[in-house]
Amino acid sequence: MTTTDTQRDIPALIDCETAARALYDFLDGRLPHATMQAVQAHVDTCTTCAGHYRFARRVLDLIPAAVPLAGESHALRLKIVESLKAEGYIERAAG
Amino acid sequence: MTDSPRDAEFDAMVLDALPHVVRFARSLAHDEALADDLVQETYLRAYRGWATFKQGLDARRWLFTICRNVYLRHREREARVVDTSGEDAELESLAASVEHGEADRSGLAHVIDRIDVGPAIRAALVAVPEVYRTTVILVDVEGESYETAAEILGVPVGTVRSRLFRARRLLQQSLYTYAVDAGIVRNTSVPSQEGVDR
Repeated sequence: MTTTDTQRDIPALIDCETAARALYDFLDGRLPHATMQAVQAHVDTCTTCAGHYRFARRVLDLIPAAVPLAGESHALRLKIVESLKAEGYIERAAG
Repeated sequence: MTDSPRDAEFDAMVLDALPHVVRFARSLAHDEALADDLVQETYLRAYRGWATFKQGLDARRWLFTICRNVYLRHREREARVVDTSGEDAELESLAASVEHGEADRSGLAHVIDRIDVGPAIRAALVAVPEVYRTTVILVDVEGESYETAAEILGVPVGTVRSRLFRARRLLQQSLYTYAVDAGIVRNTSVPSQEGVDR
């Protein structure tokens, strides 16, 4: 279990503000086990916080697909290979 | 295959990571031509320093670090300092939850799976300062740990955390604005801009 550098003691029973403050640390799994459990217990019983957590999780899930890998730029690759050849690089033969 | 074992290794471990390096470079530089220049210089430095690369380490991480350093050198001439010293990661989490209340009331939470949010996220990433953008790219897109991102960016782990949380909140906020502007959801109130320009 990894921990953040700003850990605070969070009681077993937490309120909505504490749960909200723990939002991203919880989603990233960076809270101590007992704190994760306390937050989970709150979210399980608080529909408002559960909505916040579900929405934030969904947004995080959408980010990678929104920034796809750059398509292989043939021109850029050629440019790089040409500059490396000047340094002694031997290009891999096709096939 | 290449005749040189050294170059064969370089091909497999470094040249094949090109799309990732291009994406990272574009997160550093808005301008595509500048990003391409950063990538080219990164590969040149990587090739020159290939003998110093410790086998077994993550070549992609090594390339990201070089790329970041190349970019910093470039930026020295036209540095734009973003003061992030006042950031509070937990407050960003708190604000994200509060703003979700707005999004929820507007109906965004109910339609987010049915709309293409890619353009909104990409536009938001372009709009946020580079320090936030690169952190999101490294952690949320490339899947690097906070610790690795801190190493690549040359900042403490706590700074990665606060920048990441701020960036995520800004992205979430931008989704709401995008949905309102597109007429997808109704505007219940203007989301708080607190902290955006701090």
